Amino acid sequence: MQRVLPIVLILLLLPIHASILSKVAEGNKLLPKGEGTSYVLPSPILKIMSLEFDGIASDYTFLKALVFFGSTFERKERPRVKEWEWRWFYNILNASTHLDPYFLDPYYVAQAHLTWEGNMVRETNALLEKGSRYRDWDWVLPFYLGFNSFYFLLEDAKASEYLMEASKRPDASPILASLATRLAYKGKKTENAVIFLQEILSGTDDENTKKMYETRLNALKAILFLERAATAYQERFKRPPEKLEDMTAKNVIREIPKDPYGGKFYIDKDGSIKTTSELR
Amino acid sequence: MTVLWPIAVITFKEGIRNRAIYGISIFALLLLGANLLISSMIMQEVGKVAVDMALSTISFTGLLLVLFVGINLMAKDLDKKTIYMVLSRPISRPQYIIGKFLGIVLLILTTISILSIFAVISIFMVKLSYPGYFPRFSWPLILLSISFITISLILLSALTFLFASFSSTSFITLVLTIISYIIGQSIMDVKALVEAPQAAGIKVSPVTVKVVQAAYYVFPNLSIFDIKTQAAHGLPITLSYIFWAVSYGVVYTALAIIVASVIFRRREFP
Repeated sequence: MQRVLPIVLILLLLPIHASILSKVAEGNKLLPKGEGTSYVLPSPILKIMSLEFDGIASDYTFLKALVFFGSTFERKERPRVKEWEWRWFYNILNASTHLDPYFLDPYYVAQAHLTWEGNMVRETNALLEKGSRYRDWDWVLPFYLGFNSFYFLLEDAKASEYLMEASKRPDASPILASLATRLAYKGKKTENAVIFLQEILSGTDDENTKKMYETRLNALKAILFLERAATAYQERFKRPPEKLEDMTAKNVIREIPKDPYGGKFYIDKDGSIKTTSELR
Repeated sequence: MTVLWPIAVITFKEGIRNRAIYGISIFALLLLGANLLISSMIMQEVGKVAVDMALSTISFTGLLLVLFVGINLMAKDLDKKTIYMVLSRPISRPQYIIGKFLGIVLLILTTISILSIFAVISIFMVKLSYPGYFPRFSWPLILLSISFITISLILLSALTFLFASFSSTSFITLVLTIISYIIGQSIMDVKALVEAPQAAGIKVSPVTVKVVQAAYYVFPNLSIFDIKTQAAHGLPITLSYIFWAVSYGVVYTALAIIVASVIFRRREFP
């Protein structure tokens, strides 16, 4: 009896333990978690708290950001990532780069997501500026800065400066210098953006990021195609097309390409090609 | 030296026999194994993270060794009164302290060497799996960082001798050592923070600034020996920096041991 009793008790308690654990874990998920606050401890405090382990603390904060971002892909609601969550995402990447300003991955993730989806281009550029200052051997960060200035902020002169800086660094792609001069030609925005994206894509080997940039590139190529068609239409009929269907009706193009983001292309009031998905 | 050596050897053997060593080794092994797992989650700088993990593991495990094995070796003689047997022999108290300290230095050197082998293996394995992600990798810098970690651990254990020379129980020594370690690792950042508090958006009273500046000279500046970031990114370290850092470690260690033996010589045992 004395030998059996503990075994019986253990066998009895193990399933109870498992079921209670799942109950508690479920309840824990429902606890208020400070939703709506994007607060991350100030970086200097984090640096002090991480003692001599700031390198690993930087890796940890970065992985935390990455895990959070990955988890948002399971969400059904739109927008997938809320405003305050973008802020938090930026803050934690900023903290990670404060702990180890030489760490490339946070900059890389910020460039891939904060700009296109998060609408935080100025903040991303501030982050990249820091990275570019510390990683003075790396041409990729000033190249990203150049792209953001050119494509999102529409500051071509500034973009040229960044690209020149990038082209001077070791192993820089030879295309950068010529791209920098090309930016002087106004009105070739989409074409230059395609060149930019192809360059970013060639330096990307992480599968998910690659896919993201590929989709983006395809969308931009479709827009470029439509823009060129609209110019051809203008030349042939001496007036701009009012809607995209005009071009298929007059056989300028055979069909309107599909937006890889699931939206529909249209011609905006100023004559530029836009899409309802806004490339997100 | 002939008097010191037997004490050093006895201390070393006692430390190696201590079961805590097994626990520390298992912990280190697990962390280094985790290196492979975590590195697989990184997109670009896998090499940096692998080196971070390996060096931090060595540093943390060494810290555990100093705190839980090193302090015990010194304090056990006092706690269990076995020190009466030693002091009745023809050796002076400073000789006893220095002999014990040498034994612990030997213990630290051995443990760090074993850990380094594991660390090198784990980095090597990650490097084999992701050969394209080690752009600025340098073995010499990693070995230099490990040597610096060793120096800082030796310095810290010299401090434990200083604290053990006047405290009555090993627990007090442990607490004082942990406090000095935390202060030593962060004092440079704290000093920078209180001297320019607007960076973090906080206010600091002038008294705090003075206290921190005083602490800066009293406590060991352990962050001098923290070159893990430089090692992880292959950033250059000048020869003169190595020279000054090593000198700082030697001078502070010598000071701590000398003060410890002075206090210990005057100490009365009940």
